[in-house]
Amino acid sequence: MGEYLLEVQDLKTYFKVKAGRVRAVDGVSFSVRSGERVGLVGESGCGKSVTALSIMRLLPKPAGEQAGGSILFEDEDLLSMPESNMRQIRGGKIGMIFQDPMTCLNPTMTVGKQISEALRIHLKLSNEGAKARAISLLDQVGIPAAHERISSFPHQFSGGMRQRVMIAMALACNPKLLVADEPTTALDVTVQAQILELINGVCHDFGTAVIMITHDLGVVAGMTDRVVVMYAGKVMETAPTEEIFANPLHPYTLGLLASVPRLDAVRQEQLKTIEGAPPDLLKPPPGCPFMPRCAFARAICKTMPPLTAVSGSMQHQKACWIDVTDPSQQAYAERRRQARAASQQAALAAFAETTTQSGDQATVPDDAEHAEKEG
Amino acid sequence: MDVSEQLSLSSFDEEIEPFLAETSELVQKRRSQGRIIFDRFMRNYTAVGGAAFLILLFIFCFVGPYIWHVNPNTVNVLHVKETLANPSLTHPFGTDDVGRDQLARAMAGGQVSLIVGLLSMLIGIGIGTLIGALAGFYGGWIDNVLMRITDVVLAVPLYLLLFVLSAAFSDGKPQTVILIIAFFSWTYAARLIRGEFLALKEREFVMAARTIGANNFRLMFRHILPNAAGPIIVNATLLVGANIITESVLSYFGFGVQPPNASWGTMIATGDSFFDVDPWLVFIPGLLIFATVLSFNLMGDGLRDALDPYMTER
Repeated sequence: MGEYLLEVQDLKTYFKVKAGRVRAVDGVSFSVRSGERVGLVGESGCGKSVTALSIMRLLPKPAGEQAGGSILFEDEDLLSMPESNMRQIRGGKIGMIFQDPMTCLNPTMTVGKQISEALRIHLKLSNEGAKARAISLLDQVGIPAAHERISSFPHQFSGGMRQRVMIAMALACNPKLLVADEPTTALDVTVQAQILELINGVCHDFGTAVIMITHDLGVVAGMTDRVVVMYAGKVMETAPTEEIFANPLHPYTLGLLASVPRLDAVRQEQLKTIEGAPPDLLKPPPGCPFMPRCAFARAICKTMPPLTAVSGSMQHQKACWIDVTDPSQQAYAERRRQARAASQQAALAAFAETTTQSGDQATVPDDAEHAEKEG
Repeated sequence: MDVSEQLSLSSFDEEIEPFLAETSELVQKRRSQGRIIFDRFMRNYTAVGGAAFLILLFIFCFVGPYIWHVNPNTVNVLHVKETLANPSLTHPFGTDDVGRDQLARAMAGGQVSLIVGLLSMLIGIGIGTLIGALAGFYGGWIDNVLMRITDVVLAVPLYLLLFVLSAAFSDGKPQTVILIIAFFSWTYAARLIRGEFLALKEREFVMAARTIGANNFRLMFRHILPNAAGPIIVNATLLVGANIITESVLSYFGFGVQPPNASWGTMIATGDSFFDVDPWLVFIPGLLIFATVLSFNLMGDGLRDALDPYMTER
């Protein structure tokens, strides 16, 4: 076995729609070591979940299409594997947790049956053996009175408890890798921390590697060893978690970090955002997809920069031509930001003027009409 | 409220006992899914009435003959009084043109009608579930082929084909009638189950089951099918009524269960010729068919309401 448990190389996943092909994932590469926790971060629609589904080979058919690349898991390519082998991997070697535990459990099966199902498929355990293991798993994920709750139905559980059951299901066969697709997004804030801690603890105990898909940078900070920042189906930057928070080198990562609200900020300050919206993945712009929103953008950005190691650290890679730590580049970006803000102000002012003018004109006949009706 | 009352209320020692007692009661109140559905069903009085009538009818047809020791096929034409008799104490439902006891025949005929109705329903639902599940789950050309076959079966004028088929194949035995009826009663079930599968296969728990390595067979019959159980059960109860009617119609026209075997349909057929002399010969089996089918439908409606997951009312 190579250095990595999972190696995603130049993965391309497209969706066929009437208007053409949506390039949901367009050349993503990253790798996960055994026992490592990797975070996939990015805003909605950047291809995080599609990457996860590609790893599980559960893309919606027939729209989803693997257009290229490879996913090596224990040196075997998951993409070219026959379906029956893939079924052995799902649940047996790679487990997955979904976003919404309310809809991911079968309402007609007891939680015990659902947990022991994976055991019976993969480990061919007997009824009693599977039940005993299911009880101990439920116990491990922190559900009290596990031997009683094993015969409960999902609707008798709260959201947090259902997510615990999902975790128990995913980890039942002691997989090498756990893919967690926004596991806390649908949960109450008070429960989120518990669930994250649980995933952390259980995966540490089992030696399971984790791919944590999230858009919550707080989750990334506490839960991962390494971060992959994605944008518009491409990897923008990847680095060890501490490094990315201390020393972000891609303009998009800078923007993401800047847009996290801070408790110590001045109260009335406006929340920072990244200007603009993600590109249409049907017709992605040539070159760097972030260029239209990037304050640092130069002419060179019309060709896509390769993902290259940053000088000083092999672990830290970014896909950007610009050195954002260079003061002259920062000054250029600041000028562009101010210019954009100024033009926006001007446009707003002009808009306000036209509306008030037309409003004044509109009121006159309106009043006249009223007068007529009353008369 | 004076001070002493407030003091006694805030005394913790006194509060603790009733509080614990209440909690245990609350915990016990958590009912299983089946119990909730049963309670909901019991609150629907018409449906309970239908179910109660059906229970009585089953006792009448299957236990009755052990109490009413009269052979339904014994002919008695020697005494004129014994033929076409009105209901009396010796013959509570009267007798027919050859002096056979109508009560005993109603019981025997009821057995045939109920068994034919239930078994043809089971076979029909079985075929329908299989075809609907395959079509809905796989979609694509499999769906197309199976649903067009269903359309073809549906498009054929049912009774005409049944008459031809039973004239060609039926030896008048109930088994043959069951098979013939079952073969034409799966279509609505197949469409219904296909629809359920189309909707359910997109649900997230199916995807979650895939991620733990479940194969298609397991997904279809362990995960999706139980979630479609409600509509299937409702359809099944309604189908029993429909099949009883089909059997009666076949028998009435002489294509179903053949004499001397009794069935409610053949009883009406024999009574038909003597309607002006002895209308009871038609009324009694007719009423039995009517009440049985009505009861099955009422029960089916009640089950539909009880099984509806969106009825959140307790």
